[in-house]
Amino acid sequence: MTEKIRLEAVTKLFNTRGTTTVALKPVDLSVRDNEFVALVGPSGCGKSTILNMVAGLMPASGGRVLYDGAPVAGANRRVGYMTQKDTLLPWRSTADNIRLALELKCRRTAKSEADDRVAQMIDLVGLKGFEKHFPAELSGGMRKRAALARTLIYEPETLLMDEPFGALDAQLKLVMLDQLQRLTQDRRMTVLFVTHDLAEAITLADRIVIFSGRPGRIRSIHDIALPRPRDVYKARFDPDFAHLHATLWDEMKDDVIAAGARA
Amino acid sequence: MTPRQTLAWQVALGLLLMALWEALGQLGAVNYVSRPSLVAAKLALWFGGTVYQHLGTTLIELILGMGIGSSLGIVAGLFLGRAPVAAVVLRPLIVALYSVPLVALAPLFIMFLGLGVLPKIVLVGLVTFFLLFFNTFAGAERIDEDQVHALELMGASRGEIFRKVVAPGTAVWIVGGLKIALPYALVATITGELLATRAGLGFLLSQASERFDMAGLYAVLFILMTIGLLLSEASARLETHLLHWRQGHD
Repeated sequence: MTEKIRLEAVTKLFNTRGTTTVALKPVDLSVRDNEFVALVGPSGCGKSTILNMVAGLMPASGGRVLYDGAPVAGANRRVGYMTQKDTLLPWRSTADNIRLALELKCRRTAKSEADDRVAQMIDLVGLKGFEKHFPAELSGGMRKRAALARTLIYEPETLLMDEPFGALDAQLKLVMLDQLQRLTQDRRMTVLFVTHDLAEAITLADRIVIFSGRPGRIRSIHDIALPRPRDVYKARFDPDFAHLHATLWDEMKDDVIAAGARA
Repeated sequence: MTPRQTLAWQVALGLLLMALWEALGQLGAVNYVSRPSLVAAKLALWFGGTVYQHLGTTLIELILGMGIGSSLGIVAGLFLGRAPVAAVVLRPLIVALYSVPLVALAPLFIMFLGLGVLPKIVLVGLVTFFLLFFNTFAGAERIDEDQVHALELMGASRGEIFRKVVAPGTAVWIVGGLKIALPYALVATITGELLATRAGLGFLLSQASERFDMAGLYAVLFILMTIGLLLSEASARLETHLLHWRQGHD
């Protein structure tokens, strides 16, 4: 399979009030076309920074970020990016927020088709009955789902997701994971997925990249050989899953505990 | 209290004040405070014919001045709010200009532009321009960059980002600016008219004061109060209409 995203010795430094902080030590990572890669690790290990650099919203301090073999320069319009903070437009209703991408000249869609796709998306993320609500009238979890629908509706070839399901309750999260798996498989999307939740990562990912805490660096990379499609509702009761979870957790726990002590 | 009870109390209070005012006049202070009955008679006389020309002049100055001034202020604020480099260069100049008490420029405009409506329109336009400029500028500068980035990644052009994020995101500030600007615009109109004019409510005011016509003075003040109230009601309606999505916020 061809390579979609490549990080070559990418580093990131931040300057705040005269002090330089190393957010990311040199990172090398390659993501194949149609691959689902999860980035896990303690808070502040630079996972979100990597997504920002792949999206072209933040330059690397050193090294190169390549997309389809070419360096990323400026906003990368091939990716759909669901940030941790939702960026719904507060003056648009749920339905109008989800429709946003279809109104743009680069993929102008006939009104009837756009209506259909918006309705489908609203169904998919379970926001039926809330089409006319404004973001301020939605709960945190509903806003996340609206933001997800807004990103999925235009089917970008690559999805960057930063803890998209953090605010959801456990049952709804499973439903969303199931939908996300189906959609990304059907549309052959490449996904870079940041999460705190190891179980979520094992359920979805082809590979898991474990980061260690500040300054961030890659500790290890694991292939998740569980067969697809995976049953997200039952996966966690599978003995292979439990074994993987235990191995990966052992790998992570010292960093997570250290990060917790710092916080 | 129910809305009806509130209204009843308000009407009662208004009538009480009127009665006190009338009593004060009857008791001999009529040369200073006039009397509501005399003011009402004056208003009835004016609205029989002569007032419309003056009312019309003042409203034209106010509406044209506000329309031109606020449009230019909004455009300039949006532009400079999204062009940080130009803003850094131009802002000191704008702040310096704004530091001049603007109504103090009225004599200058009257000398340049004569006694007609033009100098008042310019004065009102200038006052509203600055208020709208500063408000719009502040709003455009505070646009959530994450929202802009989201649109960029979706493939939006600069124009689309402007129409879909910057303009609606600044609307709160623009409406706020308009609400502040309305009373100032009315002040600027009347000030201009008081200085030198042949028509307008300010003209009626200075004429009444020259003639010691107390009823006439209070009659003009009553008309101005009514205009002020109608304008602020109109801007409140505009706000509700444009910013209906904010109801969940407050």
